[in-house]
Amino acid sequence: MSTDDESMYTTVDEEDRQLLEETEFDAELGAEMARDAQRVAADELSEVEFYRRYHDRILEEFDVDDREIAIPDPDEVDADDVNAVDRVEEAFGGIGEALRDVGGDDAESRRSVMKKGAAAAALGLSGLGTAGATTGGNGTAGAGGDDGEGTRWGMTINLNNCDGCLACMVACNQEHNLSRGANWMYVFSFEDEGQGDETNFLPRTCQHCTDSPCTKVCPVGARHTREEDGLVLTDYDICIGCRYCEVSCPYGVNYFQWGEPDVPESEVDDDHQIDDRGRWVGSRPPEGVMGKCTFCVDRQDGQMGEDLIGTTACEEACAMNAIHFGDLNDPESDPNQHLAEYRDGQENDTSTYPNRKGHTVSTFKLMEERGTEPNVQFIGNEPSPHAEQVEGPVAYEDVGLVDDRKEVLDRGAAANGGEEA
Amino acid sequence: MSVDVTGVDRDTLVRPIKTFSNRYVAALAVALGLIGVWLFFYSQQLRNGLIVTNLADWGSGGGVPWGLYIGAFIWWVGIAHGGIILSAAVRLLGMDTYQPVARLAELLTIAALTCAGIFILIHVGRPDRLVTSVLPAWPTRVQWSPLMWDVTVITAYFVLTATYLALTIRYDVNRLRDRLPNRLEPLYAALTVGYTETEDEVVERMVWWIAFAIIIMAPLLLHGGVIPWLFSLLPSMAGWHGGVQGPSFLSIALTSAVSGIIIIAAAFRHAYGWEELIPRAVFQGLAKWLGFFSLIFLWLQLQQVITGIFAAPTTLQHATEVKISTPLYWVAIGLVVLAMLYAFATALRPDLFDIRALVGISVGVLIGTLTEKVLFVVEGLQHAHFALYDGVPGQYVPSPVEISAVLGTVGIVVLFFLVVSKVIPVVELHAIEEHEEVDA
Repeated sequence: MSTDDESMYTTVDEEDRQLLEETEFDAELGAEMARDAQRVAADELSEVEFYRRYHDRILEEFDVDDREIAIPDPDEVDADDVNAVDRVEEAFGGIGEALRDVGGDDAESRRSVMKKGAAAAALGLSGLGTAGATTGGNGTAGAGGDDGEGTRWGMTINLNNCDGCLACMVACNQEHNLSRGANWMYVFSFEDEGQGDETNFLPRTCQHCTDSPCTKVCPVGARHTREEDGLVLTDYDICIGCRYCEVSCPYGVNYFQWGEPDVPESEVDDDHQIDDRGRWVGSRPPEGVMGKCTFCVDRQDGQMGEDLIGTTACEEACAMNAIHFGDLNDPESDPNQHLAEYRDGQENDTSTYPNRKGHTVSTFKLMEERGTEPNVQFIGNEPSPHAEQVEGPVAYEDVGLVDDRKEVLDRGAAANGGEEA
Repeated sequence: MSVDVTGVDRDTLVRPIKTFSNRYVAALAVALGLIGVWLFFYSQQLRNGLIVTNLADWGSGGGVPWGLYIGAFIWWVGIAHGGIILSAAVRLLGMDTYQPVARLAELLTIAALTCAGIFILIHVGRPDRLVTSVLPAWPTRVQWSPLMWDVTVITAYFVLTATYLALTIRYDVNRLRDRLPNRLEPLYAALTVGYTETEDEVVERMVWWIAFAIIIMAPLLLHGGVIPWLFSLLPSMAGWHGGVQGPSFLSIALTSAVSGIIIIAAAFRHAYGWEELIPRAVFQGLAKWLGFFSLIFLWLQLQQVITGIFAAPTTLQHATEVKISTPLYWVAIGLVVLAMLYAFATALRPDLFDIRALVGISVGVLIGTLTEKVLFVVEGLQHAHFALYDGVPGQYVPSPVEISAVLGTVGIVVLFFLVVSKVIPVVELHAIEEHEEVDA
């Protein structure tokens, strides 16, 4: 191919090249592949040739050639496959734009981290793509942010409906076989200043953050975001129990398994523990590793029946219609519908004040200023920094729960036994 | 200030290897006793899990998930980093005065890093996975997790220090071979494998570059970098955040390390009559460094306290107020203040200087820095930004299992020096003899 021909293609410009070079991978390889990918798209280079040209170098760089995702295996290529070029165009389009996201900035959201994964995949940088997938980044746009594609499990919790009955906590504890005091779902009863002695409630699950600090800091990738639906999970087979996720989480949702679990392994079904990727992420953790709310991953994978997909134990137990779980990317889902209906029911006076928003419903996410992009939103009043937890109408002990886990742990330690000595 | 110890003979240098005393046996018994106590308690942890510690979950759990183990980890890493920084500075800046304690500092680095590693091992819930989980995850996690940065840099650093030590030992072992015990011949043969005198010049240059790497890496990446970043990068805990943690950690590392070197050098001087080999002037010099580093330590504490209480955000202000109302914090600060005052007073009035007093002061500093580091970890975790929990701030007092680990690791360091001093010269030959010129 002549030099003139070269100029027909968008070359990887200097800025992009710098971005490529900032990665630990071969910038030259990325640039060459980007150029040839455009040739494939222009039908001047066959997919098979493209695959063969770079196969060895990709293996050398990344130990694995993942291009099969976008590029068919040469042995399986159908010469008459007219859609192949479209697929390649799709895979390699917008390289420059995608690469810009690799640089990122301070306000980088998971969406942009995920685009890194997409950009890397587009360039055949499978290694980088894997890195994105195991960090909090999802690797695909599927679970992503607010872009409305794929599934993104989340909740709307209407604090105005909650009466502090603790049924959700009980249901969660039972369904996940949790040890005493490991309250994956935890309901605060609190009083706030300026509200007299009126008690408010706040059910707290894991926030399944889009930009979760716990997945970022995990040294071994045990705490990770599941690509397909944005669930933040812990791989119990990998976790080393360093508890870095726990100290990095702004919400205090992690519960380490300090001793023997109250419910032995023999009593927990594999269906509840192993997710659809074959990873051990469900039910209570074994000794020495970290656990937290999984948004009932076993239900979402259909392990408890098709009709329980899109539900959680806490939601099911809530008689007050406070907890609404579902796909935040689906406008018809329960959390989105509930919020929309609730807003519709509390219309604002826009005839007198046309610039006001259409409803008077206040919503918030917990500690949004921490930049974690939580996937749980609340309807109601956010507790102020001066709010104080108080005893609720139903005491934790009354429903067989333990509030202060340290008391259980101290007793367990004294007796040299399991958590329940 | 320059001290000439070149009059000291080679026999003095190998005295620890040649002698054997009841006091040595006693020290060995104490070290093994401390290790034994720890192993007894640690076996409980192995049997029952981390539940035997007084750690618990923060949040509704009412505890703190990191405690004395992590505090002691930082402390030992600090001693290790400071030790090798001082040793490298001696080599790079030609501070010949401290040549007699340079190798002691290097050995302290190896021993302290080992202890730091032990604390990571006993801190995690699944120590059996430290290799199987960490190695496969390294390529993808190293670009994200500060803990992985930490593991990476500390490993690199351990390798550097061990290489540094191994290279410099070859010169000494070769020349002192006739004075070293025959029963260890296989070891010496291994240490000096392939040695020829022509390598001396090359080794000298290699060691210089390693020292150069260490002096750049340790302050920027280690105790001024990855260790404080473990805490200061997180969005969750008010008392941990901020750019001052790097310099602050580094100052504590250097203060602790000088104290450690003073104690060990004084112990060898006392045990083997090394008044000539490690003269008083070395300790007077180390005392000044101790005073200077203590000053920096105190200055950085002042920075944190002032910015934390004047008009800080609510949660930081609260964390700082709790910190300065904790009596133990002032005990730690007081011990370092004492060291600074003593160092500066004896610099002005050298007749007040006493090595035993300096050792006492140094022990105090080490207690102070360990206390400060544990408080930093624990109180940091007790004052999360999200304070709605009744269980925040959590409760924590180290359990006997945890405290025994600190004693056990001190025992390991003592044991390390007792054993190593019987095998290789713990003071470099260069301290008493000019480098031999060899025609290449």
